[in-house]
Amino acid sequence: MNAPLRRARIDLDAYRSNLDLVRGWMEPVEVMAIMKADAYGHGLEPIALAAVDAGVRWIGVLTVPDALRLRAIGVGEDVHLFTWQHDPALDFRDAIDSAVDLGVSNAAELQRVVDAVDQRPARVHLGVDSGLHRDGATPDAWPALVALAVDAQRAGRIEVVAAYTHLAESSDDDDSAAVAVFDAAVAQAEDLGLDVPFEHVAASLAGLERKEFRKDMVRMGANLFGIPGADGVSAADLGLEPVMTLTASVAKTKRVPVDTGVSYDYTYRTARETTLALVPVGYADGVPRRAQGRVEVTIAGRRYPVAGRVAMDQFLVDVGDDDVRVGDTVVLFGTGEHDEMTVIEWGEALGTIGEEITCRIGARVPREYEGHEVEGRVGSWLRGEQP
Amino acid sequence: MSAYTGITVSREALIANYATVADRVAPAGVIAVVKANGYGHGALDAARAFVDAGAEWLGVADLDEGIALRQAGVDRHVRILAWLHAPDEDFRRAAQYDVTPAVSSVEQLAAAADSEVPAVHLCVDTGLSRNGAVESEWAELFAVAGRIRQQGGRTRVEGLMSHLSNASRADDLDQDAALRRALDGLAANGVVPDVVHLAASAAGIAVPETRHDAARVGLALYGLSPFADRTSADLGLRPAMRVTAAVLRTVPVPAGDGVSYGYTWRAATDTRLAVIGLGYSDGFDRDFGNHVSVRIGDRRFPVVGRVAMNAMHIDIGDADVQVGDEVVLWGDPADGDPAVEEWATAIGTINYEVVARVGRSVERRTT
Repeated sequence: MNAPLRRARIDLDAYRSNLDLVRGWMEPVEVMAIMKADAYGHGLEPIALAAVDAGVRWIGVLTVPDALRLRAIGVGEDVHLFTWQHDPALDFRDAIDSAVDLGVSNAAELQRVVDAVDQRPARVHLGVDSGLHRDGATPDAWPALVALAVDAQRAGRIEVVAAYTHLAESSDDDDSAAVAVFDAAVAQAEDLGLDVPFEHVAASLAGLERKEFRKDMVRMGANLFGIPGADGVSAADLGLEPVMTLTASVAKTKRVPVDTGVSYDYTYRTARETTLALVPVGYADGVPRRAQGRVEVTIAGRRYPVAGRVAMDQFLVDVGDDDVRVGDTVVLFGTGEHDEMTVIEWGEALGTIGEEITCRIGARVPREYEGHEVEGRVGSWLRGEQP
Repeated sequence: MSAYTGITVSREALIANYATVADRVAPAGVIAVVKANGYGHGALDAARAFVDAGAEWLGVADLDEGIALRQAGVDRHVRILAWLHAPDEDFRRAAQYDVTPAVSSVEQLAAAADSEVPAVHLCVDTGLSRNGAVESEWAELFAVAGRIRQQGGRTRVEGLMSHLSNASRADDLDQDAALRRALDGLAANGVVPDVVHLAASAAGIAVPETRHDAARVGLALYGLSPFADRTSADLGLRPAMRVTAAVLRTVPVPAGDGVSYGYTWRAATDTRLAVIGLGYSDGFDRDFGNHVSVRIGDRRFPVVGRVAMNAMHIDIGDADVQVGDEVVLWGDPADGDPAVEEWATAIGTINYEVVARVGRSVERRTT
């Protein structure tokens, strides 16, 4: 069908271009492309294949099941897949057999990994909790984790690949303090007889702004999707291109008189006789209910505010006397090239960040991939061909 | 043993709620609404539960949702109604999969008739200004409906529907009056629909005049109250969705330390945190942090710091909480679980949005 109710266009050329740009900035430091949360809502498999085709050799996917999804579609072991959040009931055997890199947070978790080793040693990254308090070992728990890692490596059960931490990005001083905690932990590990061959600390924001935090590798997520995180910095300022464009087709137009109440609770009333256009995307699809009065969409390059409450499946815009017709394309957010809002602007308008918006675009919104990468392995995957 | 991380939907609660609602709106029937993945509960399992409870009608927003139910095996003796259509929809797939479209315009009605869809419902706008033909379009729409009937085509105008704004009882009754005008207009063209439906959960419960032949009920069937001032229990309903997560890690935190991105919360005293693996990408708003509490064992503990993409923090103090323990985000308050309405209120929204936006990344099981 030519005019689907709703779709998210994913521009793989833009992703590739962002990747090239970011890798250039980070040179000679390695870049890990972060694709957790289904590649921030963009679709894990196509993004991963596009990145691998572009030469990416480190991918971060959060969980072992997601890493195994990538191994299953032919992402080979020359590509390291880093995972760092593990369900307490997870059996690590498949991960170890598939050479999935495991971030571990404490000795108990490392022991579970060691116990799951059969033939191949497990590839392990030791996590340091430097203040974010999400994963990694606190300074008190660190020596026990290191001691176990030393023993397990000596026994050939694991290979310690790296040490890592996450920064809270609260303030420059806090981040500096966190990196000091991390550096002390690495020094302590060396004292305890562990060689730490590789270190990664910074993610998108600190990776850009704090050169001294780049260590051996920077984990880049949001930047690669064209959603830089710094306050007041647009993607265009940095040369990054937003990868996702969310569109819908006008499903209904109607001429209504002055003072017509619109949508639930009539929180919007028309100021004059006007045309309302129905946009078939609602909060179940990822447009927050609070978007009324905060975001604007474009139709044929003109901006219109959301009129009335966003409902579960739809909302309305007041298009005045403009010639808007059923089937016209509504751009909710995109690159900004045609005066539409970007997802960063959505984040700002809605009191959150762009990533929250893209991650939560729902299952009813089909992702459609475009860009030259669709010709390659991504295309094969999208056509359902076996790797 | 480690606790389950995901959504558990109680089939028993869905069935009981259906019975409660059916009883409440009788002699009107119920169109069980399972759009938006069954308001986040899982459309197929919800549909099966409602059908087993006696539902003869299911409601979805669009044809894709209806077709997915058919493809998953929902039997054709169960009617499926869909009311939101793509601009160039030709309705052939509606005929093929036996999904009944509710049409909002002459164009849609003509397209449905051309595709020999066996039955359609007409959707009219009685005030919500959303879907549905506006009153100025009725004469033409109803005339076309009359002609289709006269010409003896395969398509029958079976139903008439509209949707209420719930702005106030008086507004709802105004809309009801408009719907009755539409019925008169249709009758003048020789069309008398068998199934007239206007009310959804709220009016179905509170405004009996609007029930007509059926109420289209979604929220209440999942056990949630559409009213700010009445709980599920007040309405005799049981929330069917329970969200739980396993503790991934516990971590001691000294007084003064910040937690999670931006350090929006700092420990007032030495304490311990539990981390769970659900975050905003799973449908839990960043803003829930510092505004909601969860249940572990028989106690409540606050969610602290900003909710991250895949994780959130809970301040557990010196409670005996271990890795693998069950954290309940929300469930049935009658069982001592937090209510989803607490989460909705915390971010200034309604229970509908919170359940419907729990993401596809979250595992779902029906027990």
